Amino acid sequence: MLRLVSNFSAQAVRLGQQVPHRLPGPVSRLTLTLAAWLLLAPAAPALAYIGPGAGFALMTSAFVLVTTLFVVLATILAWPFRAVWRLATLPHRPKASIKRLIVVGLDGQDPTLTDQFMQQGLLPNFSALAAEGSYRRLTTTYPSLSPVAWSSFSTGTNPARHNIFDFLNRDRRTYLPLLSSTYIGKVDRFLRLGKYRIPLRKPELRLLRRSKPFWTILGEHRIWSTVLRVPITFPPDRFYGAELSAMCVPDLLGTQGTFLLFTTRPENAAFQEGGVRVGVTAQDDRIVTTLQGPENTLLDGNPPLTLPVRIHLDRAAGRARAELGDTTLTLTPGELSGWVTLGFAAMPGVRVKGLTRLLVTEMGEHFSLYVAPINLDPESPAMPISHPSYYASYLAKKVGPYATLGLAEDTWALNEGVTDDATFLQQTYDIDREREAMFFAALERLDSGSLVCVFDGTDRIQHMFWRDIEAGHPAGRGRDAAPQRHAIRELYAHNDALVGRVRAQLRDGDVLMVISDHGFTSFRRGVNLNQWLLREGYLTLKPGADGRGEWLRDVDWSRTKAYVLGLTGLFLNLRGREAQGIVAPGADAAAVKAELVDKLRRLCDEEKQATGINEAFDTAVIYAGPYMENAPDLVIGYNAGYRVSWDCAKGIVAGPVFEDNTKAWSGDHCVDPRLVPGVFFCNRSVEPQEPALIDIAPTALRLFGIDPPPHMDGKPIAGLA
Amino acid sequence: MFGSGIKLDKALLARVKRYADLAGYSSVDEFVTHIIEKELGQLEGSDSEDDIKKKLKGLGYIS
Repeated sequence: MLRLVSNFSAQAVRLGQQVPHRLPGPVSRLTLTLAAWLLLAPAAPALAYIGPGAGFALMTSAFVLVTTLFVVLATILAWPFRAVWRLATLPHRPKASIKRLIVVGLDGQDPTLTDQFMQQGLLPNFSALAAEGSYRRLTTTYPSLSPVAWSSFSTGTNPARHNIFDFLNRDRRTYLPLLSSTYIGKVDRFLRLGKYRIPLRKPELRLLRRSKPFWTILGEHRIWSTVLRVPITFPPDRFYGAELSAMCVPDLLGTQGTFLLFTTRPENAAFQEGGVRVGVTAQDDRIVTTLQGPENTLLDGNPPLTLPVRIHLDRAAGRARAELGDTTLTLTPGELSGWVTLGFAAMPGVRVKGLTRLLVTEMGEHFSLYVAPINLDPESPAMPISHPSYYASYLAKKVGPYATLGLAEDTWALNEGVTDDATFLQQTYDIDREREAMFFAALERLDSGSLVCVFDGTDRIQHMFWRDIEAGHPAGRGRDAAPQRHAIRELYAHNDALVGRVRAQLRDGDVLMVISDHGFTSFRRGVNLNQWLLREGYLTLKPGADGRGEWLRDVDWSRTKAYVLGLTGLFLNLRGREAQGIVAPGADAAAVKAELVDKLRRLCDEEKQATGINEAFDTAVIYAGPYMENAPDLVIGYNAGYRVSWDCAKGIVAGPVFEDNTKAWSGDHCVDPRLVPGVFFCNRSVEPQEPALIDIAPTALRLFGIDPPPHMDGKPIAGLA
Repeated sequence: MFGSGIKLDKALLARVKRYADLAGYSSVDEFVTHIIEKELGQLEGSDSEDDIKKKLKGLGYIS
């Protein structure tokens, strides 16, 4: 018998009395009316669905209301029986050697830079932690990408056992990319109500990471965990504890982060990616326009929900007054606003809410207004972003509004020159402060169990400011006097202060780990391996195609043996696996793979007379597990300074094999994993061997007296557990 | 409190349990879910290119 059991009541008690249970009033009333309609009207045919929208918001609200009422009633009636049952079946509580495990994740903190800044005396708290306990390099995963690495961290397994191999995977039927971690399905039944169509259920939302995080196993032994923003937890895990989702939570538009720029500038050029330019005109210093929100899936054709926008430029006072729907605020050019709530009316009584921040980037001859990606409102999220579902709202009550988008720091606005260094850093540190407030609130409440929190700012700031710490970086030209050129150094000092504050809160019996999932290096040169495969005869274009089509649209699959998709994966076009595969499994596939491994080893960038690729790793050798069929055949180990090019990452075949990277996104870690280990600090000493990220989960279990299950690949860290 | 259950023949369940461990699954549930999803994947349609592009838009690493 397979059984999925949830238990809300214990969690509610644990979170305290501040837990909010209210629902938006209008939605509640509407839901009761709709409940009657649901019984009376016929179902409409299926329609596609993308991302959060009115339908999701409506169904989430209705679901929560009905379920909550039912659960409350059932819980009260069943309580005596459940109490007896629990006593009878309570698992043996293991004998823990610790009281609390606290894991602080600093995504991307690099050991080489850490060493350098420690030697310079900039990191006294890291140094003290190392002296008190231990500091080691932490072996990362193949590939050294956050979704892969944090999944191995949480489950203690290699990628073929947790099913996350990259940010992207491919649809083997269409060769199109898919977000590797989350599946958002479609609504297939609607109820027709005049011009509205009401979804009869929520779209399917599925976490594609497999295996079992250590906090789930701890929970099976009634050991509580609080998990804050660990990547690849969307939709959230269900376990004895609380969790706030992170990487790959979409924005309100259903994308991974789309900013808007309202501008009177006449340029027609679209942003390359990540943003939408909205041309506006100012008449008598007044601008009237609309802001396009999520699709209204309650209407045929999914027209976008819109908000009326009115802006009055008060040049004498040097301010702009902006009205967005029923929200009004005054903006000073150059000053990023706080969080602004936007409410989109989907139908009478139904509003989809999001949070954004605004910045007037110019108010001279021209006017431009930056609108940050619209985050799901944590007070009433349109999608499930926490476990229990009310935990996101509880946190908002506790610490105020906060970013919910998976990759919340707007790197694309900085890449496109829409925002500047200072704005990006402010966004990033503000998000960090929100996270820190959540973390310390959870730490204070934790009497026993585990607390895991990942801070993303370290990764984002290094991506965007690496150009300032490396002489001759193609993206660093003209930045000698940039005020933010010491951003990375300041970032590490900022992290050090955080470590100091955490250490000050430690109690007897606590184990503190400060870790990173990978290190960092330069991204000077992009490599278009699909172009290389074309030149080497492994990939063929359709007749007449020039290779400029995105997502491998121009590839002739009937004559292609291998292709690159995602950041580090190379796939054979394998017969029986890919829809139009031509390479026979077995000896043929092994021969093609061996040939590619040989040619790619120490692949030379002729222009720079440097090695672009160190090695291509055969996944049949480095992985083992039930999800091997989803793995790439080779993981490319780029040399330091090299990475998949922007074009190649988007499936464009045309262009040079090697090219300079001139974007602000100038540092990266999608390289040979041996070059970018993470860091491991602990307040307890460990044996001298270098631990691995995959060892943290079994170590956590052992610290709480639980033997790691046989499916885990990692081993408890010697000397610690 | 509310669960969904699938009944399996006892002998089959014993085999599933044995091979779930050997294959590297974390549980019998995960094993059975994977098998079912693989089969469903053969039957279900794919997202359109527009849907996919929209979902990936703004992913810093690729665009």
